[in-house]
Amino acid sequence: MNDQSRTLLQRDGTKTILASLISIVIGLAVGSVLVLAVGLSSDNLGLSSAWEGIRLIFLGLFSTGRNEAGALSWGFNPQSIGNMLFRATPLILTGLSVSVAFKTGLFNIGAPGQYLMGTLATLAIALGIPSTALPSPLIWLLAFLGGALAGALWGCIPGLVKAFLNINEVLACIMTNWIAANLVTWFFDATKVFQNTVENTKSSYIYKTAYGKTLVDGAWTYVDGNGVQTAKLGLDKIFPGSQVNAGILIAIVIAIGVYILMTKTTLGYQLKACGANRHAAHYAGINDKRNIVLSMAIAGALSGAGAALYWLAGNTEFFWKTYQSLPTAGFNGIPVALLAANHPIGVIFTGCFMSMLNIVGLQLTNLTAYNEYITDVIISVIVYLSAFSLLIKMLLNARKTNKPAAIVDSGPDSLPEEKAAAEDSAAKGGEQA
Amino acid sequence: MRTMEAENIIEMLHITKEFPGIIANDDITLQLRRGEIHALLGENGAGKSTLMSVLFGLYQPEKGIIKKNGQEVKINDPNDATALGIGMVHQHFKLIEVFTVLDNIILGAETTKMGFLQKKEARAKVEALSERYGLKVDLDARVEDITVGMQQRVEILKMLYRDNEILIFDEPTAVLTPQEIDELMATMKEFAKEGKSILFISHKLNEIMAVSDRVTVLRKGKYIGTVDAKDTDKQSLSNMMVGRPVQLEVTKTPAQPGEAVLEVRDLCVPSRGHKKNAVNHVSFQARAGEILCIAGIDGNGQTELVYGLTGLEKSSGGAVTLCGEDISHASIKHRGQNMSHIPEDRHKHGLVLDFTLEQNLVLQRFNEKQFQTHGFINRGAVREYAQRLIQQYDVRSGQGPVTTARSMSGGNQQKAIIAREVDREKPLIVAVQPTRGLDVGAIEYIHSQLVAERDRGRAVLLVSLELDEVMSLSDRILVMYEGEIVGELDPKQTTVQELGLYMAGAKRMDMTEKESEGA
Amino acid sequence: MTFLIQQTLLYAVPLMIVALAGVFAERSGIINLALEGIMIFGAFVGVFFVNLMQGVSFFSDAYAAKNWLTLQGLELLAMLAAAALGAVFSLLLSFASVNLKADQTIGGTALNLMAPALVLFLIRIIANQNTLGMADGSDAASWFMIKKSTLGIDRKTDLGFLGETFINKVYLATYVCILLFIVLSILLYKTKFGLRLRSCGENPQAADSLGINVYKMRYAGTTISGALAGMGGFVYALTTANCASTGDVAGFGFLALAVMIFGNWKPLNIAGAALLFGLFKCIAASYTSIDINGDGICMLAKAPISAHVYRMLPYLITLIVLAFTSKKSRAPKAEGVPYDKGLR
Repeated sequence: MNDQSRTLLQRDGTKTILASLISIVIGLAVGSVLVLAVGLSSDNLGLSSAWEGIRLIFLGLFSTGRNEAGALSWGFNPQSIGNMLFRATPLILTGLSVSVAFKTGLFNIGAPGQYLMGTLATLAIALGIPSTALPSPLIWLLAFLGGALAGALWGCIPGLVKAFLNINEVLACIMTNWIAANLVTWFFDATKVFQNTVENTKSSYIYKTAYGKTLVDGAWTYVDGNGVQTAKLGLDKIFPGSQVNAGILIAIVIAIGVYILMTKTTLGYQLKACGANRHAAHYAGINDKRNIVLSMAIAGALSGAGAALYWLAGNTEFFWKTYQSLPTAGFNGIPVALLAANHPIGVIFTGCFMSMLNIVGLQLTNLTAYNEYITDVIISVIVYLSAFSLLIKMLLNARKTNKPAAIVDSGPDSLPEEKAAAEDSAAKGGEQA
Repeated sequence: MRTMEAENIIEMLHITKEFPGIIANDDITLQLRRGEIHALLGENGAGKSTLMSVLFGLYQPEKGIIKKNGQEVKINDPNDATALGIGMVHQHFKLIEVFTVLDNIILGAETTKMGFLQKKEARAKVEALSERYGLKVDLDARVEDITVGMQQRVEILKMLYRDNEILIFDEPTAVLTPQEIDELMATMKEFAKEGKSILFISHKLNEIMAVSDRVTVLRKGKYIGTVDAKDTDKQSLSNMMVGRPVQLEVTKTPAQPGEAVLEVRDLCVPSRGHKKNAVNHVSFQARAGEILCIAGIDGNGQTELVYGLTGLEKSSGGAVTLCGEDISHASIKHRGQNMSHIPEDRHKHGLVLDFTLEQNLVLQRFNEKQFQTHGFINRGAVREYAQRLIQQYDVRSGQGPVTTARSMSGGNQQKAIIAREVDREKPLIVAVQPTRGLDVGAIEYIHSQLVAERDRGRAVLLVSLELDEVMSLSDRILVMYEGEIVGELDPKQTTVQELGLYMAGAKRMDMTEKESEGA
Repeated sequence: MTFLIQQTLLYAVPLMIVALAGVFAERSGIINLALEGIMIFGAFVGVFFVNLMQGVSFFSDAYAAKNWLTLQGLELLAMLAAAALGAVFSLLLSFASVNLKADQTIGGTALNLMAPALVLFLIRIIANQNTLGMADGSDAASWFMIKKSTLGIDRKTDLGFLGETFINKVYLATYVCILLFIVLSILLYKTKFGLRLRSCGENPQAADSLGINVYKMRYAGTTISGALAGMGGFVYALTTANCASTGDVAGFGFLALAVMIFGNWKPLNIAGAALLFGLFKCIAASYTSIDINGDGICMLAKAPISAHVYRMLPYLITLIVLAFTSKKSRAPKAEGVPYDKGLR
């Protein structure tokens, strides 16, 4: 890259970050307004409670609860930060999943389903292999790879129907999500062995992976501490009391890997070509159908890997009667990717931001009369804004770099970019069919 | 006072219209007399369509006024234009493909009772108009099922239905056969005789000389002048339009055809919308060292023929042999080993607009050894290659290799495609409408490139809708009509009129005979 | 059989009306992926409205006095409220798509995320749990379901097959929706408004050149769409989800989109498609109690098929149906493409 292009990129990058920050601020503001409105209109809440809510929305990560006087207290909260990093792990991966598909021109709203299939495979492998049969790091690795593979296979389905039957991938993804939710429930319902019966305080949960399948007195039993869990690498010392582990580091490494894949390799070039103009890619002899399937497979693998890292923590429990609901970690990959403008490195940060909102939601529920759904409202506002923040940036760019020398006649030449954009999307629209 | 008004029905005075970065109309004045046919002449990009869009209310000018019958009027949208009796046949028809002809005609000027459509009266009125002017249409057919010529008649009926007295025709002949053009000219003269005033936008000098009373010439957004058609000739109009003497003919030596590079036997390609084959049992040969042109009216299977040859669409029968190898079922990539393809639609197929110029220049070649190592793109090599092509083919862009293709002008986008395709040095070059929408300079350049490639011993298969291009550039002409090849002509021995008869399906040769003669 | 037809109709009618909602948006050129979200929102609005009104003595007295006409009036009012606020909610989509030329898929997704978040946030504050039912709680259906007793007919009277199927244990909302469906289909095809609306989804440039305000028509299409989806959401909650709002309609809005595509954006085909999908949805929901041939045995429950299969069925069928119809179907040509007046 020469200097000229680098400054351009920087300018573009700055604009992207600026647009994302604006979206975040507006999103948080909308959340605050909602809290204020509810607080003021409710008899038993009032202004002071609303003010507490608003402060928590912005600074919830640094909340340390309430002091003896009952007022909110603030400070460095290693537990919150550690948990933020822990919860960011799957979000970064589903965010990467959505962004890779986006680069190929596909809207992967199927991350929840891929995440669920990843969950199924990971848990089945981690809990299915006796802990005496293989060393636990190896079981961990198998479970991780199994999760990614299951996600990849599940991602292939919408990819295949999109590529070969021209079915709108959004609809196909939604349907596969619900099918996955039912399949997972079916699997754990039918197999029974993975259902946690040791800790009978909770119903409908699967064993944590820290439980290992062990032979006790001639019967297979699940024993705590005998299974697999992701190494902590001392992170638990830095953030005591939190669930953090090396998963976050793995997520960061994967994000860098995705970045290299998309920008430096011929595969990334092909994927992006298909995304930016499927017809031109096809014309140039690039196998667009294969690339669409491949892109969805990679996206699915990333979502599956996200699930694997989350459940392999060892201390997380999976609620298996999930046929009526889809994991938010999957859907939240969408705002994570959009907010990062689909940049793999950006996803690391926006993933952390989303999980921070998650922590905020918990603090709100624990400390005030408000609840965690306010953070979902904030997220949806951010997604809404990003629907046109991309466009605003494009307009800014167009004004700077565009030489509209051909605007004059409405011949085939006029308005090269907008017209083509319209045609692109028209073609896309046509494919909804 | 009244007599003053009577002469000019429409006056556009000192119109200036700017777009970001460009002045599309710079102080342009146009006066349309009652009952005249007034031609507006200019190259692509001269500002003709912008000016007409201003008159039709689609754009608001920054400066200048419009008068009708001497009274200043404001035209803020097409409704205002219609109210003033101004109608327009757009270059790209403004028709709803899935609607019937009648629905298209009444759309926007519906008669209703309590909100419900009353089509009976409308039908009667349209039928009367159609009868009176000999504009034959099938009112209940869907627009997507009728010919382009009939679609144009629908557009004309739309204006007549609205009782427009000022009719704008924007490049109306581009899609018509020579015979249909003659009919249109006659209709236009008929309108003028009845007192309607006509603005006729074109860059085709023959037509302008044939039909118009006066000509206003624009160049690069500026007003050049208005002349009486009977006081001028083609060469001087051409000079006014381009600003320098133009060579109207392509210079080339006679072709030296060699071996057949491409051999097509009984090729069939299915149609997307209909059950019929879009290309129906087509056979021909393209030889090294000649420019073989496929002529025909748009939509007679040329596009699908190219799709079938290049692999963009699967053929449903027949055989294609390229350089002695049967490629009937080969992948696009495989065909690309011996074939370059300058596509019809440069935005849809030719370029990835969001990619940089250098990324676009290696669109087919990124996987070659010189551009990648172990799956990692070799950026240095790509950059170097791009710079060579940019220099050699004079592709101009803001930032060289890293310019986004989207931000380049149409002419330079096309040059980039030509550079990429020609530089692949394949024995066959398929070029589909390579000069569409470009200005004279770019057209001259592209023509000379194609001739040069021919002289280097390549087979050039040119698909063109422009009769001038067909006649001047080709060494041999095949005419396509309704998916079949209906004639093979020698451009030196045929006339535009004869070509037109073949294009319209009025004349055809027995091609099987012709073929066996050749073989 | 009666039960099967009734249940199928209960699922088919909201599907049909929400699919028609999709048609109005897409025919005007806007892809309304937010049908699901608007349904969730409409369901909440309707249920909350009923919840509030049940506390009003005018209605609670009417309930006590079995004045069913008043109660049916309340049902219509709730439908209206859901429609009105559904329309308002859909303005977010119109504004983003028409004025800001946003990506309609992302905009719709945002609404799909926003609706459950907002609804659950409010429900949690209102009801302190994740479900909002009626104030009366106990027997929600008894307020609105039309039974023999409601009409003053003795419970033991046999009304014949048709009567039992279409008069006993039905909801007024079902018939209102069917009527609305017919009226709106006529609107789409026989009126000036409909003609113009459809032209905007096919070729907005052409419509504009004929003096039709594309922005206005797209707003109109999306707003009608929002109203219908909001109403459909409430009807769904009323007739099939125990008159409760839970911030979820289990992908029903997306099924409606599939019905729309399967029906090729044409009302008559959509009605047929909705019945088919309604049947599958009905099987999924109540396979344990469907007695097809009236011998008192529920075959489907007896069959050695897992409950999970039935639950999966609607989604699986949708995917398969789409696979077979997608190549032939024809979407409005300009849907999903923002229209910019400045660029022609």
